[in-house]
Amino acid sequence: MGIKYTLDELIVFRASKEINDGEMVVIGQGIPMAAGVLARSTHAPNSVIITEAGIVGLEPFKVPLHIADTSCTQGYSYGCDMIDIFTSVVNHGYVDVAFLGVGQIDRYGNMNSSYIGDPDNFEMRMMGAGGAPEFAGYAKRNVLTMRGGQFVEKLDYLTSPGYIEGGNSRYEAGMPEGSGPSVLITTKGVFRFRPDTKEMYVAGAHPGVSVEEIRADIPWDIPVSDNLEITELPDEKELSIIRTFAPEISMGRKLQIETLVTRVMRILTEAAER
Amino acid sequence: MEKYMDQDKRMTAKEAIEKFVSDGDSLVYANCLTSMPLALVHELIRSGKKNLMLFQQGGIEEVDLMLETGVIDRLVVAYHFRIGGKRVTPPLDRAMKEKRVQVEEMTNFTLLSMMKAGAMGYNFLPVLSGIRVTDVVRRRGFLGDQRFAEVVDPFSGEKVLAVKGYNPDFALMHVQRADRAGNGQLWGAMINSKWAALAAKKIILSTEKIVDSEVIKSSPHLTIAPAHKVCAVIECPWGAHPSEMAGNYDYDMIFRALYFASIGTPEAFQAWIKEWVYDIPDRDEYIKRYIAKFGEDNLNRLKAKPFLSAPADYGYPFTRDWNDEGYSEKFGMNMEEFVQMLDEKGVLLEG
Repeated sequence: MGIKYTLDELIVFRASKEINDGEMVVIGQGIPMAAGVLARSTHAPNSVIITEAGIVGLEPFKVPLHIADTSCTQGYSYGCDMIDIFTSVVNHGYVDVAFLGVGQIDRYGNMNSSYIGDPDNFEMRMMGAGGAPEFAGYAKRNVLTMRGGQFVEKLDYLTSPGYIEGGNSRYEAGMPEGSGPSVLITTKGVFRFRPDTKEMYVAGAHPGVSVEEIRADIPWDIPVSDNLEITELPDEKELSIIRTFAPEISMGRKLQIETLVTRVMRILTEAAER
Repeated sequence: MEKYMDQDKRMTAKEAIEKFVSDGDSLVYANCLTSMPLALVHELIRSGKKNLMLFQQGGIEEVDLMLETGVIDRLVVAYHFRIGGKRVTPPLDRAMKEKRVQVEEMTNFTLLSMMKAGAMGYNFLPVLSGIRVTDVVRRRGFLGDQRFAEVVDPFSGEKVLAVKGYNPDFALMHVQRADRAGNGQLWGAMINSKWAALAAKKIILSTEKIVDSEVIKSSPHLTIAPAHKVCAVIECPWGAHPSEMAGNYDYDMIFRALYFASIGTPEAFQAWIKEWVYDIPDRDEYIKRYIAKFGEDNLNRLKAKPFLSAPADYGYPFTRDWNDEGYSEKFGMNMEEFVQMLDEKGVLLEG
């Protein structure tokens, strides 16, 4: 007790637990990259981080702005390209875990990162598919994180496949047997998928969050595990690793933008005074 | 494909765009996110070219700049940047809502497979079939059925998903170094660069530095843009700013913060474009303006510290059949003895 942490730090810590030692992990920027580095610094030193830019075995020294910036492109072991990543790495089953961020998600873990609203007359255009559809389809398992996304009965657009319509439908559609989303981590709790029906259920809650608060965001009657996990808290050492590697993740987007704006204003003022 | 065999293709960015780009052309960027050919993008905007169609994996500035200035009206894209929240950057959002651009959504892999097929000279290429359940495949945009198709694997009889090969009219590319003939060398994150460059009918190449051909010939494994595909070479230090260039400079977060603060409304974005694109003749002046506005210290702060790659040794024991003394270790004779031997064996013909 007595540990002070931010919500983003808790998500990073919880996500890092999903990486096992010796696994090959596809990671994008932001929270997943911090989780990957934390895992490599603690319980999974032999895990290998990959980005779809064609970089395998990277050891980033800070959280990248994007998956190919200078913090990713120094001291990695295999420099290939995006075609190589999706074919000789992903298609041959070398990727154990792919981390994906979620815009919209349904009860079977299908995801939308393209449009909110009718795609022909949309309310919001999101980032788009990127590498998500093939990583969702072909990595052995997916770790999903959601910060500001939404649960829906029906997706406005299916960008990335989860368990499609549940049961065996994913594998009948051609995705590798046994693959699929294994966990979803949100700002309130942790969700998993039933082995038979592939339907999502509440597996855990973050400290201080009630099941009712979790269910309030979900438009269907979601099952809740009998053995609800209360998310473990990071200790001082883990928090220190996160803050040293990823101070911008610790502070979250809003504070990050605030501090950047302050810095820009100072630089412009100084330049104008010279 | 046209061949470009001149040994010296150096010219300015303005000359290259005037000479090699026509209204209505299709283009691709031979890289994304990193080492972006932004000096060439700015020149394309200044040239006033219209109705271009862009293939791009994903963008930070370049797509928005070309949309706001009306350079492109068709976009085949896998993803796009966001600043905060889920919404894509405002210029793309606006352009789509105002129907100023038609967008075809692809995945990173399938978009690049379109380029790889085109680069290989194939009309189609199989991709990872599982994604046929997604709306990326199911819905159709302006390319209609000229994007995805199901084909039968002739060996297993199974139906597999395939993409159509494309050959854009030109590629824009920025590299660390190139020779005058246009052998361009890139290192760092390679992403889509090889297949986009090779798919295009020609490559307009800008480079941080022009080097002697001897440098290229000592490191051919780094050559990604072969000279025969390159129609123009532009020496352009800082040509990727504000994106990063491995071994040269980092991305510029301060500059980008001001850029992102400007794209929220058409008025503010147009003012930014006027200041940094239209009012500036070339990249040299752009850097001068940068220094005037942000100070030289801020430019220097971006410069990379070296992290050298171990050289690859291409050496071997004998460089020629005849050594410096005109003697062959392999044959155990000198040239005179060699010719005498040919004569004695009766293989020399009388002329």
